[in-house]
Amino acid sequence: MTATDTILSPQQLSAADPARRQRRTAWMLTAPALALMVLILLAPVAIAAVLSFTNYSLGNFGFDWVGVENYDKLLTRSTYAKMFTATFTYVLTVTPISVGLGLGAALLINSLTRLRDLYKTIYFLPVMATLIAMSIAWEFMLHPTIGVVNQTLAKGCGTWVETLWPWLAMHCAEGMPLWLGNRRYAIWVVCFVGIWQGFGFNMVLYLAGLTSVHRELYHAAEIDGARSGWERFRLVTWPALGPTTVFVVTISSIRSFQVFDTIEAFYPIGAGPGKSAYVMMFAIFEKGVEQNLIGIGSAITMMFLGFVLMITLIQRWLVERKVHYG
Amino acid sequence: MAGLILRQIAKTFGETRVLRGISLDIADGEFVSLVGPSGCGKSTLLRIIAGLEAQSSGEVLIGGEDVTGVRASDRNLSMVFQSYALYPHLTVGENIAVPLRMRQLTAAQRLPVIGSLMPGARARGREIAGAVSEAARTLDIDGLLERKPGQLSGGQRQRVALGRALVREPAAFLLDEPLSNLDAKLRVHTRAEIAELHRQLRATFVYVTHDQVEAMTMSDRIAVMMGGEILQCAAPGVVYDDPEDLRVAEFIGSPKINLLPADVGDGGRLSVMGHPLDLAVPSGARGVRIGLRPEALVVADAGAPLVGRVVHFENLGSDLFAQVAVPGLEDRVVLRASPRMRSSLRLDATVALSFDPAAALVFDGAGKRLRDLRRPAANRHREAVL
Ligand SMILES: Nc1ncnc2c1ncn2[C@@H]1O[C@H](COP(=O)(O)OP(=O)(O)OP(=O)(O)O)[C@@H](O)[C@H]1O
Ligand SMILES: [Mg+2]
Repeated sequence: MTATDTILSPQQLSAADPARRQRRTAWMLTAPALALMVLILLAPVAIAAVLSFTNYSLGNFGFDWVGVENYDKLLTRSTYAKMFTATFTYVLTVTPISVGLGLGAALLINSLTRLRDLYKTIYFLPVMATLIAMSIAWEFMLHPTIGVVNQTLAKGCGTWVETLWPWLAMHCAEGMPLWLGNRRYAIWVVCFVGIWQGFGFNMVLYLAGLTSVHRELYHAAEIDGARSGWERFRLVTWPALGPTTVFVVTISSIRSFQVFDTIEAFYPIGAGPGKSAYVMMFAIFEKGVEQNLIGIGSAITMMFLGFVLMITLIQRWLVERKVHYG
Repeated sequence: MAGLILRQIAKTFGETRVLRGISLDIADGEFVSLVGPSGCGKSTLLRIIAGLEAQSSGEVLIGGEDVTGVRASDRNLSMVFQSYALYPHLTVGENIAVPLRMRQLTAAQRLPVIGSLMPGARARGREIAGAVSEAARTLDIDGLLERKPGQLSGGQRQRVALGRALVREPAAFLLDEPLSNLDAKLRVHTRAEIAELHRQLRATFVYVTHDQVEAMTMSDRIAVMMGGEILQCAAPGVVYDDPEDLRVAEFIGSPKINLLPADVGDGGRLSVMGHPLDLAVPSGARGVRIGLRPEALVVADAGAPLVGRVVHFENLGSDLFAQVAVPGLEDRVVLRASPRMRSSLRLDATVALSFDPAAALVFDGAGKRLRDLRRPAANRHREAVL
């Protein structure tokens, strides 16, 4: 406002009200970010939420409202029961094991004086490699006849190993397992590859967490009579890693929910023998993209978002309540 | 409770010699401070006593027993760390209880939930709770037992760290600069509290500090360390009035001791700034310097050995320190005067300073104290006798 504006209209007067002007500027400055957020993040979710109550297919001009029919299918059809079984098997296996292995590897590497970087790089390699390429390598290794896994196992046939390991004895007699083609093993093989690929990432997060543990705390623990490594771990390391652990578990479980590429690489159609590796992401892809059943695809997506949201809320609650020592 | 004996402790880190043969006898119940400038090896020595660091050579005896090779948790010592090192996830009460739980409960009794169901765990737990609340009462932190360390002030944390140290009865207490994180006022307060605690417990204390005031006010004896050696270990008064070494004289005392170069004349007679003194050293001494505490200097009439201009004042209320620039001396001479002298000690005023030769501390060129002082053989310069 310049000094020549002597007569002010009511509008100008209200604009001159500093609090109001500030508020308007604030909205103006946040508007672009807000618009983008609504456009890219919230709108698709909202649209998916709406579509999950319809039978819409891409290319159709209209759609019918079907109410909760899509959700009803999800909860009653056996295909989707298989989907939930596969998803939770994967999440509940891969998350704890990859977190545990990550922590173990981080503790071991942290106790080294030399060759730290070498080990770090080795364990981190699978994280950096694309899972598609690695899946091909695994497919090759797990090949029923020429794969290195079964060939190694076959070497144990007829030796003392066979007598100690009934499982091996059984397969020596009946032939080595079809790892990827067997309904019983398929999901576990997928889990194994997920763990192999993911724990290096957790290890790196834990290594970062370990650098923040105060060295004098270990000395205090020693003086206080914590003799064994386990006691020092319980008294100092594990509590100090609390915030890291919450983060690592959250990230790992969300990543596990999102597993798709291993299954797509191993089983481009059908998601494993008898749909035994039919995880949610694969279902979304199959229904929503391949079969153009947008309605049911959206319903699965909403369920998926619900799970992820739940994990995130638990994480927030834990961080605020339990592991924040501030 | 037990005494500590250090015999020729040496420590090298790679190429660096950090400790060069430290020997020290600490009696049962004694309060000994280790003072010295930063990096002189105080913490290293304390950590060697505690067993957190292994000495390169020499031995540590606790209560007459050689503890070389005994691990820290078996030495029965308590230590307060510079950073306090409280367990952030435990409450104050749990923090103080840790040393007792670790020592008095079995591994099974310490298990999270089922531990308290183990036989004997309840009774032990009650004993521990009793000891914790007693330690907390001693330190006046019984109102804080439920808080986490993160919710405490620096002074409160420091007391919790002390509480964790004194909840059991160790052979000795080792304290590594426990007051360095406190503000000046709290430091003075806690200083007195620790000294009182020592009187009350009659326990052996080894106290590391680089603050000479702390050392002077709390200890039975002060060990002045420099460059990995103990230069002198004696009662605070002795270290101040009767230092063995120039470096000790310079380190102890604030403001610093005044050092004047002295010439050695015939018969070893010393003179300062051309003024002969009533003091003689054994002949052959070179590079002699005279140390004078600020309170040893008095304002005198003209003709005194030191004449200079007042360039700076520090009025502390009870004391007045004047810095006097004396032509021919590199460093300013610091004089302590009573505030009554304020009018005569104006800025830029010219003052003459003299001193009692008996109060002068004489050091040879290597910094060693010269104790073999005599009156000058010939008393030719009567007019200069002070
Ligand atoms: N682990 C180590 N490796 C190599 N040098 C070390 C190590 N620990 C200490 N030093 C060196 O030993 C010397 C003495 O260290 P120390 O911590 O005992 O000093 P200090 O007297 O306690 O000093 P401050 O008053 O600053 O705490 C220092 O020069 C330090 O650099
Ligand atoms: Mg130190």
